[in-house]
Amino acid sequence: MFFLRMAFKNLTRHKRRTIITALIIAFAILIYVMTDGLMLGMTEMSFDNIINLESGHLQVVDQNYWEDRKELPLKNLITPSAELEAEIKKTAGYVAMTKRLKFAVNLNNGIDELPVTGVGIDLGQDDKVFELQNYLVEGRMPEADSSEIIMGAKLAELMDFKTGDYAVMLIRTEEKTFNTIDGEIVGLFNTPHPSLNESNVFLPLSTAQDRLNTKGKISHYAVRLSDQNQALTAAEELSTRLEAPLQAYSWKDAAKSLVTMIEMQDIETQVVLAVILTLAAVGIINTVILSALERMEELGMMKALGMHEREIVYTFMGEAAGIGVIGGIMGIIMGIIGLSIFNINGIDISTITAGGDMTYGFPLSGTIYAGWEISSFIFVFIYGIIVSVLASIFPALWAARKDPVKAIYHR
Amino acid sequence: MSLIKLTGLEKIYQQGKIEVPALRGIDMEIESGEFTTIFGPSGSGKTTLLNMIGCLDKSTAGEIIFDGHSINDLDNKELAEVRRYNLGFVFQSYNLIPVLTAFENVEFAIRLIDKHSKKERKDKVMSLLEEVGLGDMAHRRPNELSGGQKQRVAIARALIKEPKLVLADEPTANLDSETSQEVLELMKEMNEELNTTFIFSTHDPQVMDYARRLIEIKDGKISKDQRRD
Repeated sequence: MFFLRMAFKNLTRHKRRTIITALIIAFAILIYVMTDGLMLGMTEMSFDNIINLESGHLQVVDQNYWEDRKELPLKNLITPSAELEAEIKKTAGYVAMTKRLKFAVNLNNGIDELPVTGVGIDLGQDDKVFELQNYLVEGRMPEADSSEIIMGAKLAELMDFKTGDYAVMLIRTEEKTFNTIDGEIVGLFNTPHPSLNESNVFLPLSTAQDRLNTKGKISHYAVRLSDQNQALTAAEELSTRLEAPLQAYSWKDAAKSLVTMIEMQDIETQVVLAVILTLAAVGIINTVILSALERMEELGMMKALGMHEREIVYTFMGEAAGIGVIGGIMGIIMGIIGLSIFNINGIDISTITAGGDMTYGFPLSGTIYAGWEISSFIFVFIYGIIVSVLASIFPALWAARKDPVKAIYHR
Repeated sequence: MSLIKLTGLEKIYQQGKIEVPALRGIDMEIESGEFTTIFGPSGSGKTTLLNMIGCLDKSTAGEIIFDGHSINDLDNKELAEVRRYNLGFVFQSYNLIPVLTAFENVEFAIRLIDKHSKKERKDKVMSLLEEVGLGDMAHRRPNELSGGQKQRVAIARALIKEPKLVLADEPTANLDSETSQEVLELMKEMNEELNTTFIFSTHDPQVMDYARRLIEIKDGKISKDQRRD
């Protein structure tokens, strides 16, 4: 304790140097906290977008369909039934369910054609599971059993559509025959999910089933639960009650590629932190060497009094830990201020993506807010101290191994 | 039994390809409680000899017996142990730790041997500081003390662990004559009171006046060894 106290007192010898070195660590911590907060915010918003606009908390689907779902097949569809719905309703935390039918569409404006995803929605139920209608920026939702459609404002702009126009939707039925839907555009939406805005057309489920000739079949049931954290266990539990090949999948299964991407992003963040803290470690090494050179006679005295090399090393490590603690506290305070500023008004993602559509693979757009996680703060604080201490070991050993005579007379 | 016995002690420094002999066969014995001054011109080998006796440096040839044990074959860690428990040092430039108070500087040395309770340690440090006349300056940092006061703190630091031997390398070199005299009086008092052995290196005639034994070194050899009553 005495040596630790002495180490901390040593930090007051050159206050400016201590502060500057600590600031390097603080800066590294600030960058990490901000990056991590941004990533966390983007992750939370992306998951919300997937749940609220794409998958719900659970999807009940034929497991053969699930494997090919990205190709929007009309094979392995589900026939809705009261028994199946009764089973779904027994799920813990059940709030609502809706039916959807997804299919491939070639959207035609008379000049150009664009492949998009068509989604037949159960208009009486869809808004109990999804939030699509909250994002209508123009017009209204389609009437049930009509040929009315809504699409993303972005897609409409791209295809030069406006509300009131008719869009020709070229489709292939279950029997592979061609058919068309002349959809009247009655509404435009602008959700925070960019791919939804750019490539999805929604229409009444019955119309889609009729034109695709699916005989009342649907792609999946989407289910909303009271708590998204229950989704994983609820999916497992529901799957045990469903008859094969039906299976329940949680929103995390639907967002698997995003989860993988986020894990990769996490690694990237760690690498960034490691690189910045390595630079901070150079600062620590420099500080310890300078301190040792300045205190060479003192070190000689310490050795003359019988202090062991390891005790001298501990003293320097204590000093480095002190710098780490100061830097850590400064970094955390700066990080909290930075994140608070970030969260007051949020940040328009287009300023990060230079006004483009690229969102680095995250299904989000508009204004984003950073997330907070105490564990991140604790992690980076401890990590900063550990890096500081580790960086001090070699210069401290160098100082501690100095010949006492040379040290005393500073030769 | 003598506290220190040197037999045929030699030290040669290597400067590039040139060998520079600093000590050329020193034979000497120091008894417990002696107050000895080693003097001689600059470069004569005084400090080298003191470093050998103080287990800070290793000899090229010869033997050093400290308190009945040869220290020739000890490694750096073992030499540190000998210094830690048996030796006190007083340096010309005091070598106090600037961020610690006078009390803490003295406490530093006793902390290394750590065989006292907190209260014992505090009492011991305070009583020694009072003995060296700094009882009311215990909480001052070195930069708030005069040269003489700093050297008193250094003496207290050297004596706090009750060492068998105190080595002082030119302890008055940075002090005026009046302060030098005070410091020497103090060391002599401590020598008589605690029976601690003192060895000084100096070329200050005032220091030599206080010594009961004078050893003169010239060109790495003892040229004169004189005891005074």
